[in-house]
Amino acid sequence: MASTLSAGEATALEVRAGRDDTVNRSSRKGFFTDTTICIGCKACEVACKQWNQLPDDGFVFTGMSYDNTGALGASTWRHVAFIERPVALSTQDGGAFSWLFSSDVCKHCARAGCLESCPTGAIVRTEFDSVFVQPDICNGCGYCVMNCPFGVIDRRESDGRAWKCTLCYDRLKEDMEPACAKACPTDSIKFGDLEVLRETARARVERLHENGMHEAYLYGADAADQPGTEGLNAFFLLVDKPEAYNLPPRPVVPTKLVKETWTSFAFAALGLVTVAIGSVFAARR
Amino acid sequence: MNRMPVDADVTYYGRPMIKPTVWGVDIPLYYYLGGAAGAAMTLGAAMQLASRDPIRRRELRKLSARCHWIGIIGSSIGGVFLIHDLGRPSRFLYMLRVFRPTSPMNMGAWILAFAAPGAISTGLFINRRGLLGALGEVSGYVSGLFGAALAGYTGVLVSNTVLPIWQQSRRWMPVLFVGSAATTAASILELFAEDEPARRVTEAFGTVGRLVEIAAAKKVEQLASAIPKVGEPFRQGAPGLLWKAASALTIASFVVSLLPSKSMKKRRLGGLLGAAGSLCLRFAVHYLGDASARDPKATIQLQSHELPERVS
Amino acid sequence: MAECHPVGFRWVMKAKERGATIIHVDPRFTRTSAVADIYVPLRAGSDIAFLGGIIHYILENERFFRDYVVNYTNASAILSDEFRDTEDNDGLFSGWDSEKAQYKPENWMYAGVEPQAAAGKRESDSPTDKKGRRPIRAEHTDPSLQHPRCVFQVLKRHFQRYTPEMVEKTSGVPARLLTRVAEALCHNSGRERTSAFCYAVGWTQHTMGAQYIRTACIIQLLLGNLGRPGGGILALRGHASIQGSTDIPTLYNLLPGYLPLPRAKSDHDLKTYNELNQSTSGWWGEFPKYSISLLKAWYGDAATAANDWCFKHLPAITGDHSHMNTVADMADGRVKGYFVMGENPVVGTVNGALHREGLRKLEWLVVRDFQLIETAEFWRDAPEISRGEISPGDIGTEVFFFPAAAHTEKDGSFTNTQRLLQWHHKAVEPPGDCRSELDFIFKLGQRLKELYANSADPKDRPIRDMTWDYPTEGPRLEPSAEAVLQEINGYTANDRKLVDGFTALKDDGSTACGCWIYAGCFKDGVNQTARRKPHWEQNWVAPEWAWSWPHNRRILYNRASADPEGKPWSRQKAYVWWDDEKQKWTGYDEPDFVNKPPSYRPPPDAFGKDTISGMDPFIMQADGKGWLYVPTGLQDGPLPAHYEPQESVIRNPLYGQQCNPGRMEWMRKKDNPYHQPYDDPRFPYVLTTYRLTEHHTAGGMSRWLSWLSELQPEAFCEVSPELAAAVGLINAGWATIRSARAEIEARVLVTRRIRPLQLNGRTMHQIGMPYHWSSKGLVRGDCPNELFPFVADPNVSIMETKAISVTIEPGRHGKNRRYITSGPLVPELPDREEDRDLPAARHRPETGHHDKTDHTKEGHE
Repeated sequence: MASTLSAGEATALEVRAGRDDTVNRSSRKGFFTDTTICIGCKACEVACKQWNQLPDDGFVFTGMSYDNTGALGASTWRHVAFIERPVALSTQDGGAFSWLFSSDVCKHCARAGCLESCPTGAIVRTEFDSVFVQPDICNGCGYCVMNCPFGVIDRRESDGRAWKCTLCYDRLKEDMEPACAKACPTDSIKFGDLEVLRETARARVERLHENGMHEAYLYGADAADQPGTEGLNAFFLLVDKPEAYNLPPRPVVPTKLVKETWTSFAFAALGLVTVAIGSVFAARR
Repeated sequence: MNRMPVDADVTYYGRPMIKPTVWGVDIPLYYYLGGAAGAAMTLGAAMQLASRDPIRRRELRKLSARCHWIGIIGSSIGGVFLIHDLGRPSRFLYMLRVFRPTSPMNMGAWILAFAAPGAISTGLFINRRGLLGALGEVSGYVSGLFGAALAGYTGVLVSNTVLPIWQQSRRWMPVLFVGSAATTAASILELFAEDEPARRVTEAFGTVGRLVEIAAAKKVEQLASAIPKVGEPFRQGAPGLLWKAASALTIASFVVSLLPSKSMKKRRLGGLLGAAGSLCLRFAVHYLGDASARDPKATIQLQSHELPERVS
Repeated sequence: MAECHPVGFRWVMKAKERGATIIHVDPRFTRTSAVADIYVPLRAGSDIAFLGGIIHYILENERFFRDYVVNYTNASAILSDEFRDTEDNDGLFSGWDSEKAQYKPENWMYAGVEPQAAAGKRESDSPTDKKGRRPIRAEHTDPSLQHPRCVFQVLKRHFQRYTPEMVEKTSGVPARLLTRVAEALCHNSGRERTSAFCYAVGWTQHTMGAQYIRTACIIQLLLGNLGRPGGGILALRGHASIQGSTDIPTLYNLLPGYLPLPRAKSDHDLKTYNELNQSTSGWWGEFPKYSISLLKAWYGDAATAANDWCFKHLPAITGDHSHMNTVADMADGRVKGYFVMGENPVVGTVNGALHREGLRKLEWLVVRDFQLIETAEFWRDAPEISRGEISPGDIGTEVFFFPAAAHTEKDGSFTNTQRLLQWHHKAVEPPGDCRSELDFIFKLGQRLKELYANSADPKDRPIRDMTWDYPTEGPRLEPSAEAVLQEINGYTANDRKLVDGFTALKDDGSTACGCWIYAGCFKDGVNQTARRKPHWEQNWVAPEWAWSWPHNRRILYNRASADPEGKPWSRQKAYVWWDDEKQKWTGYDEPDFVNKPPSYRPPPDAFGKDTISGMDPFIMQADGKGWLYVPTGLQDGPLPAHYEPQESVIRNPLYGQQCNPGRMEWMRKKDNPYHQPYDDPRFPYVLTTYRLTEHHTAGGMSRWLSWLSELQPEAFCEVSPELAAAVGLINAGWATIRSARAEIEARVLVTRRIRPLQLNGRTMHQIGMPYHWSSKGLVRGDCPNELFPFVADPNVSIMETKAISVTIEPGRHGKNRRYITSGPLVPELPDREEDRDLPAARHRPETGHHDKTDHTKEGHE
């Protein structure tokens, strides 16, 4: 073996390693974020910004622990939450205190509110089962923003279009893993085949329970877990209530509730027509 | 599986869990103008239906014309506001790239795409003779139907979102929007002098509209307030004040309309109050939605009420 | 570690996955604590007490690894009769010389042996002491460890007072927690298991920094954790290549490979220099081979036996020219010029105002960096200038700024914490005028050579004689970094063939080598540091990834991973072992010994490395043993003792001696005033400084980048809810923090991650501040290092930035004042300097000088 690798050789090696790490049984890709091994380093935030060349979101000291990012948005597609709690984790001896970290991201829901509400068809499902906003089509109507149960997608005012995590679509097409997963030093962010990730996650929860961390559970792992979205392609292992992480406890895609609204609309429209005709005819005398 | 009980007292530093709308004043104005346009076109179409009799036709001609004008101006200017609100206005036609029934906004784009040209076509051709006249007649009915859709679909638009107040009151929101649309149309018509029987048509239309608007508003507030944190914005802050003003104005408009006097002044007053009330209502709905979006506890409480079995 | 080495921390998390217990000890609860199994909060500055408590536990409960301790450490060595411990003198060791304000360590020695250090600082040795060239080996030992003056018993007695209760009183660590940690360590050490310590500047940046590390060494030696896989003490460096910068030094008193710089007073010629530094025992016996090869590398053909290999070309030191001394000299107008390259000292080191005073008195200053950092801008952007106390027009310093190339824009190597040299390749050409350090220094050297080409002045000879013929490449004719690395590796002078390792070096001028410990990094003509064989293609030690010194050895002193007979202590901890059939050492790593069998014992006339027996793993020590007790080489004691920081909030609960008697102080009332040693009513809280993941050191590489700056946009202080309530601080509000030197403002973060501690019945509050901010860049703030005074550890002159006393109040009440230019910031009180020392340790020379450092080392010439 040569003592150094050329750029081409290095990339080929990385691709091979990446492919060998995941079994390509299906093409559904996603993230499993194991927050118990997140160290809150924000490499994911920076890697995402750097790969996608996103603008900064302003320099604001929030006073929210070490979270000065605040939330996901049009120019922030990875956001690490910091939660300081006056209770210990069951496996830690450190006094009545614990500090939780979680790297939030677009969930690429199986039933995606943004996708189902998008009027231009800009938001599509890719061959990797991710949810992708086509920036050359989006006309910035902003309706997706109001349809995301997780408050992920947003419209960038300086640009006019809606933006969110692309699951590094451009990298996936080259057989590379997303920038955040690559940068994560502890592999808290695991990328791969959704089925494999689910198995890994379930095994991890079991192991944690065996070791005494009974708070651990999966969030959004599948449709049974989260019927309102029918499962998240980017799901999480959490150790506290979802609300603590600013995650909705039982999110529902609005289109799952819309039938009764359309029904109401039909009655109302019909009623309008009736009233109009009635007014005209009633005024005959 | 998260088996923990939902706890609305636990939030992430009180930060919103979802995003408020990115919409500005353009959109409530669109509700208002588009709604009025839609209701007016429906009324116009109704008059078409009732006017096979030429005498009747002549009597209602002015009213018809006014309805068509409201239809044209309301849907056109409303459309302009809509386009202006887009992040990329030059791409407004992209709305028609797809036909997507899951998206009320897409459906609305199609509705407007038929309603607005329909209104214009009606206005231009309806009183002509021959083929053009026939075209005008057809477009009159078409714009009547699409007008009714236009008046009501925006109620679906706001309810098909995650904003707690809107989502929670979704069953009555389209009714509210339709009622408000009718009130607005009637109120605008009331600014002009009318003879019988036109005056009676407008009066009937407007009265029902006002009643529906008032009742539906009560139902919307009731539904939302069934969950304490969701209903909170109705009772405090600027949006709550606006909502109350809307209610007051619409009730006042209704009362005035009941007064026996036939003076122009009274008619105009009733019209102004109704128009103002509906305008306030549209803006109130918009700001109330955003207010409920900013409170994470509203979202949390809403979701703890939403039982998984009920979703389709 | 998670904060400052997140990528390295990956391995800690993997270890945790496999069942390792992670214990985190820190004044504040960090991102490391968040994933640790046990978190130990302790008062900043009290680690020796805590670690001493662990030693106490090990010794009292007999949990030490006996076979290892008896055979591989100096536990059995018997000490001189004259040695007195801190137990006898209320906190002082024997041999304190109050005139010179330092220890004379003669009577710390083993019974019957003359002192001879391993290497490094030798100022404490009397230069004429060459009596007896016998190997430094304990003459008298007691393997049963019972003799009252054997190291083991002395150790036991020394740490007897570090009981759990005393530790709790001193450090705030509850006794139960100390016991839990000690037990976890003991349980996880021995034949079958090993434990590792990782530390960083939280330990070093104290006036007893070196002794902190020593205390950990004692623990690890007692538990048998050194030289074994999964053990050791990992010094996490503060920068990607700081290890490299001590290996190929940017330290004033070292030459590459930790060879000392000659001393003007004593090292008159090469022979004397070699003799004084060569050890008669251990690998430093080969010293002349290293020094002469270095001279050959630097002066090439000009260096011959006749002219002592150009030994006189080397600069010789006349005193302590470390950073703070030099800055103090600058402030006194004694320094003309200053190169600042890749550093931002007015932010990154203490007492920035004193530093700027120094900069104002220079004739010229050269700064090389990516951005116009605060050090380069001192003449127009500084607190004293914005306050109008100093005007730029009054500053005569000529300031040159050179833009620097980033690491992606140049070839070169990093040497990291594990002594691993990793090559990095230029990916893009540097933009505009940006150049690498290598290019700058090379071109500067070329111009100096040109300038002095025809000079007859002897002082210009070194420049004229130095070899400077590196090949150049690329559009900008940059010197080849690989060529430099080859010179560092070393070669035979006549045929320029690269050597395989430092054993090939000679003292007859036939070899040249830029750094003996790096010899072998270009073995076989291949840049070993650029190797990138993936881990799945080699064994778990992965010796074919990059190259570590010495000789690609991954764990130092790995002889200790096998028992005295050469068999691994246990199968699961096998690392290197003696193969009796092949009569050589083998294993997963490069063994320290190759052919020397475990049974080898040195003959009586043995010299240098041959004095190391087959059972002496610590080959760089004169006696080959791990030193539980340091007979020579340290300025402040053969054993660690707990002293309080220069500015503390309590009296030393353990001894009458308050502070480290050997500490370096700068008694300069006009620009370096100290607080009272303890109970200073003006400064009731402890302040400690540290880093965040999001920023890097003094901010030069992070505060100009938007993606990092938005992660942590403002300077802030962290306070407990209790302190916030007591003082009136509000989360996300502002606070003003003051010391006698400076006042600063910062945002407030109220958090339970900082805890008040119960010390000796009192509640003690700590304030924490990251130090990354200053006045320039995308995100700006006040710099907490300005609050600190000059005070340092005597062994390595490192500043104390981890503990001082301060005061805090809510709101923005600072006027950006600095004592030096604005006068007193707080009411003046007597300094009570005498309370820092027992009467026996107080030093008051009759010179009229208050500068203690004049007398700490050899003084200024």
